[in-house]
Amino acid sequence: MRRKAYGRDFGLTSRMFLTIFLLGALYVGFFALLLQSGASIGVMVVILGVFAFVQYFTSDKIALASSGAKVVTPEQAPDLHAMVDRLCAMSDLPKPRVAVIPTDVPNAFATGRSPKRSVVAVTEGLWKRLDPPEIEGVIAHELAHIANRDVAVMTFASFFSNVASLLIWFGGGLGRNREGPPIWLIALVVYFVSYFLILALSRYREFAADRGAALVTGAPENLMSALQKIASDMTRIPQRDLRQMESLNAFYIIPTNVKRSAATLFMTHPPLEKRLARLAAIAQEMGKPVSY
Amino acid sequence: MGLTDVLFGGRKRLKGAKLDKLFALSTAQITLETELGLRSAGVAAVMGKPLSAGEFARAEQEIDELLGVVAQTSGSEVRRRSDSYGYQWLVVRDRDFEDLVTTVHLVASEFANRGFGDRLTAALFAFEGRDRTTYLIYGFKQGTFWPFVPTGEGQERDNPAELRLKAELEKELPIEPDLTKWLGLFDAPLD
Repeated sequence: MRRKAYGRDFGLTSRMFLTIFLLGALYVGFFALLLQSGASIGVMVVILGVFAFVQYFTSDKIALASSGAKVVTPEQAPDLHAMVDRLCAMSDLPKPRVAVIPTDVPNAFATGRSPKRSVVAVTEGLWKRLDPPEIEGVIAHELAHIANRDVAVMTFASFFSNVASLLIWFGGGLGRNREGPPIWLIALVVYFVSYFLILALSRYREFAADRGAALVTGAPENLMSALQKIASDMTRIPQRDLRQMESLNAFYIIPTNVKRSAATLFMTHPPLEKRLARLAAIAQEMGKPVSY
Repeated sequence: MGLTDVLFGGRKRLKGAKLDKLFALSTAQITLETELGLRSAGVAAVMGKPLSAGEFARAEQEIDELLGVVAQTSGSEVRRRSDSYGYQWLVVRDRDFEDLVTTVHLVASEFANRGFGDRLTAALFAFEGRDRTTYLIYGFKQGTFWPFVPTGEGQERDNPAELRLKAELEKELPIEPDLTKWLGLFDAPLD
């Protein structure tokens, strides 16, 4: 039933599988070449093991710590919790932990290796600047990420590319290669090819989450207006007073530089126009055409 | 941040004040008045961060001296104010806009000359529009201007109006490109 709730898009699914297949083929080739070049299997297994462990088990903690998100109780944020409760019930998901990020810029993320251990985080800016139906659309999008197990998928997909980037730096010490190209060169090629495949995969998962959100809320237009608001210049203008900010910033270890993190986020997300066009198409399917 | 700062680990101290771009406002006055319908309210202010206790006594004296210097060299009226955040404000009044900008620059550079340049936060210029007051804020750390149009209801501001001003003024004024730095100054003690 859960699968049904979040819907399927045949074209999207097949493109996603093709990307995953290409990534898999790339990694198999990579591994074979490494072995041929004389890298010792023992070292490889240890590296892989440590990487897999760290990535899989710390993703939620890293995301929470680096964004400064604070997990909130139902007493601290009753309305937000009620909204998450409602959406989880509709999409048959266990309720994730709920966190708030103290920044003015509207944004949200979901993390956690399994639906049971996941966290949904929204910024204060999202809560203040968007209307409740729009916030619902954004949270439904994040819950769709959880339902689709995107953290696990992306961790798995980027795992070998991380190993490759590690080998670019330390590859020389891993063993002598008798013939053929040096290990660092192989690793470099693998890294670049996988980088673009992973970005493509990430964009497909975004479309899938948009679709999931549209189907669960039954209102693609709300997510559309939320995306437009989040992307607009307007929301980047802070609502706080300069004097408040100066005293606040003193307590942050890393200065809040929203611009940089937003840029990296957008790399992994499809362009706004494409997301809006697809949501409009879904609205059409549902029999409520919207214009944007 | 320059190359030398990167190499030698500079920026241990706060950034000094950038004053030179202030005068761009005098040139933009015609656009402000004729095209945007914004007339100077004849009042502006230089505001700065609170000082540490040790520096405070010395600063008190310096500011009084500074006010004396400014009163002598310019025809503007300058007063001292503080706000609930504990910031110091030097409020400048002058009917003539060019003199107003010059005096604000003078106050700021006197501050800098006395070693308080890194304490300067912003300068605020008030303009009267059709139905409400519009402000231009000059950030001394950035050396750029940004518009600030409070709606008068709590801490709300008219973002569309601010973005329109950005578009109109961009050619003449160095407008802060990073919108996340467009912090407001609500309830400024300009009276």
